[in-house]
Amino acid sequence: MMDARRVSRLLSVGMAAALASSALMPIAQAMAQDAGTLVVDTAFQLKTADPAREFEPTANLILHPVYETLVTFKGSDLTKVEPSLSEAPVVSADAKTFTFQLNPAAKFSDGSPVTVDDVIFSLNRVKNVKGSPSFLLDGVTVSKGSKEGEVVLTTEQPDPGLPYKLANPAVGIVNAKVVTANQGSAAADADKTDRADAFFATTSVGSGPYVLEKFDMAAEVVLKRNDAYWGEKPKYEQIVIRNVETSAQQMNVMRDDSQIALDLRPDQLDAIKDAAYTISVPSADVVFMFTNSNADISPVAANSDFQTAVRLAIDYDGIVNIAGEGAVRPGSIIPTMFAGSLPTSEGPTRDVEAAKAALAKSGIKDPTIELTYVSDITKNGVSFADVAAKMQSDLKDVGITATLKPSPVSTFLDDYRAGTLPFTIVWWGPDFPDPSDYLLFGPGEKVGLRAGWKAGSSPAITEIAKKAAVEIDQTTRTKLYDEWQKKLNAEGPFTGLFQPAFSMASSKTLEPVEYNAMWTIDLTAISPAKQ
Amino acid sequence: MSYLRTSWYALPNLLRFVLRRLFVGVLLCLGVTLISFILTQVVPGDPVSANLGDRAASDPVIVAVFRERYGLDKPLPEQYALYLQRLVQGDLGESQQTHRPVTTDLGQYLPATIELASAAMILALVFGIALGVIAAIKRDGWPDQLIRIISLAGVSVPTFWLALVTLYVFFFKLGIAPGVGRLNPGGKAPPAITNMFTIDSLLTGQWATFSTAISHIVLPALVLAIYTVGSITRFTRAAMLESLNQDYVRSARAKGLPERTVILRHAMRPALAAIVTVAGMAFGRMLSGTVLVESVFSWPGIGQYAYKSALALDLRAIMGVSLVVAVIYIVVNMAVDLIYALIDPRIRLG
Repeated sequence: MMDARRVSRLLSVGMAAALASSALMPIAQAMAQDAGTLVVDTAFQLKTADPAREFEPTANLILHPVYETLVTFKGSDLTKVEPSLSEAPVVSADAKTFTFQLNPAAKFSDGSPVTVDDVIFSLNRVKNVKGSPSFLLDGVTVSKGSKEGEVVLTTEQPDPGLPYKLANPAVGIVNAKVVTANQGSAAADADKTDRADAFFATTSVGSGPYVLEKFDMAAEVVLKRNDAYWGEKPKYEQIVIRNVETSAQQMNVMRDDSQIALDLRPDQLDAIKDAAYTISVPSADVVFMFTNSNADISPVAANSDFQTAVRLAIDYDGIVNIAGEGAVRPGSIIPTMFAGSLPTSEGPTRDVEAAKAALAKSGIKDPTIELTYVSDITKNGVSFADVAAKMQSDLKDVGITATLKPSPVSTFLDDYRAGTLPFTIVWWGPDFPDPSDYLLFGPGEKVGLRAGWKAGSSPAITEIAKKAAVEIDQTTRTKLYDEWQKKLNAEGPFTGLFQPAFSMASSKTLEPVEYNAMWTIDLTAISPAKQ
Repeated sequence: MSYLRTSWYALPNLLRFVLRRLFVGVLLCLGVTLISFILTQVVPGDPVSANLGDRAASDPVIVAVFRERYGLDKPLPEQYALYLQRLVQGDLGESQQTHRPVTTDLGQYLPATIELASAAMILALVFGIALGVIAAIKRDGWPDQLIRIISLAGVSVPTFWLALVTLYVFFFKLGIAPGVGRLNPGGKAPPAITNMFTIDSLLTGQWATFSTAISHIVLPALVLAIYTVGSITRFTRAAMLESLNQDYVRSARAKGLPERTVILRHAMRPALAAIVTVAGMAFGRMLSGTVLVESVFSWPGIGQYAYKSALALDLRAIMGVSLVVAVIYIVVNMAVDLIYALIDPRIRLG
């Protein structure tokens, strides 16, 4: 009928309008292809651009090129600190005094020199605003040294791991005068008086190769080359870091809409490996399980023979398979890329008969235990539900019934930190790349207590931990951590399960990109492919 | 008192209607703040755990500073009273996840969602009404059957899946749509007037930005529109069928009026009332239900903000979003009632 045709025409006009808009895409895309711009896709975990308050992975990625630290890491090596604003520190024999000599050439993006006063202000501000990274400088006093450009950090307790903490972008050095003029404070009451976090979202006051051009926590962060940079100029004029869900990242790299995708799953790499460089390497997060040693929480879980039975029942290789290509199993609790890690072979292995024997020895018949896991997030694409189901099946083989208890992360964390979970799978991301970060797993320590492992439960382990905490000779230190972890494996409630893979792809228009467990990738080191 | 009553009834019906609805709206908003406040308190989980790092959350000093900064150290009634006191001054508190005033966050994210939902609504109305009219005219014929399948598919297809497939086909495979985001990577937003990039670029004459903004909004708007197209099509068809069976339509045909006039002028007008009602409801639903589309298309709107706020137990942000969504529903419903009265003279407001 005539009218139907008319309506159809209207419909066609509507569709044509939509398609006409789509026809503008090539123009839009052409605008995006700027050789001086690098586009990086990642799923944002970002709350602030204020280094003193940040402790999220995306913030480390973004702020590392903007705020230089006293020392840094090169490439993917986290075992050795390298000079940055300062030379490597001179450490006193008692590991309580650290002397840094500032590079006199260092200057902020506004051209003013980086001074000792800026360092003192920046570090005190991190301590005193009492944000997430404040613990990095717990017990640290910062002062001027006797020489020009010398900064001295003293600690209440010996802390050979301090230089590793100082490479964290959260302790990046800021321009004290500018921050103070914009509601910043490093005074003891900075937690009440400092309101500079809003200012940090509008500009940057660091000495790094890039400055902050745009900071939109929901959409994108744009970094612009710092033309006044005192070191080697970076290759890209502009870097755009976009907040993109994992599902779209793969498509973006393959269509060259972006050059780097940081949050791929291992199974996505196959489809992309011909079109882009791919990396699937162990991340620094360690997923571990524990059976609670506090009998008030669970008499079953606290039984040491039962704990042995659980340790021997788990098929660790099977769990690493679930975690996918690139995942590995640490020998204990310290991740494989850190100094002091144990080889995988040192970890427990599955032995069903031995597990049954240990269970018989425990005197507990047909034990049932609740296995709690986080149900609403994954770790680098690995579902805790899958891991828990595998463990449930493994435990069933030796006669242990595990009841699975999924829990949202917000409630899980409360229960976990309160030490009320009888048996769980949980993860630990490094606060800083030094084995001393893991001494918290000892008896009576913060993580140890979450597993009901009270102080005095294992004096030998505590003794080794005390020595390891103050030892500054690297060889002796590594030996002590080896010994500590072996004992932890044998007597403690914790067992390392796997380090999930970090999987990323980068365009072949770039030189291959390295993974760094501290800031994911070094944006300042990325360069176009050589012709 | 009687003077007030006299003055009240002396006001035009329409104004009385609007004032009454606004008064009820304020009460509703108050109720929403109370309910959302109670719900955020009874949800298990501590904002401290959700917002501070592992080490910081174990440090009593840092925890105390956090609680004090966000007013979580005060008794619940006092927290709520303070919230209302600040609300009256236009202050929705500070977000724990962005460290910014919630009003600033909403000012940034809400326009992005309104822009997306409006584009989707325009598409849904154009396609939905056209398909519904065709289906009614061709009742039980093959176009009707085909449109029925299309509308059923529209309301049945999962949005997240559709968004991914659309992106895959039009961006990845065919290359005729741009990638994710509101603009190209690093693209400069137009000067902020409404924070809706299409509108702002038009108002400031930035044609290149306008073209980019339009090209970026087409795919997410289409995906968001699909569900509503289905429901508008079904409502339009039903309303048109009812109209077409009315005596006045038969009379119009008997007078020999062209079929086009009969449908567009005589049958369509009463059907519009039903369409406006469903469109109003759909617009509210779109504004508050964009999270999946926003997530796939990296659209920094209120849906993503609300989702992240819920995960982080960001109480002030959750309450701010709830309040804004409530206001939107109230305003849209009032607008629908007003349009309803304009379309159908039998409806009297007051």
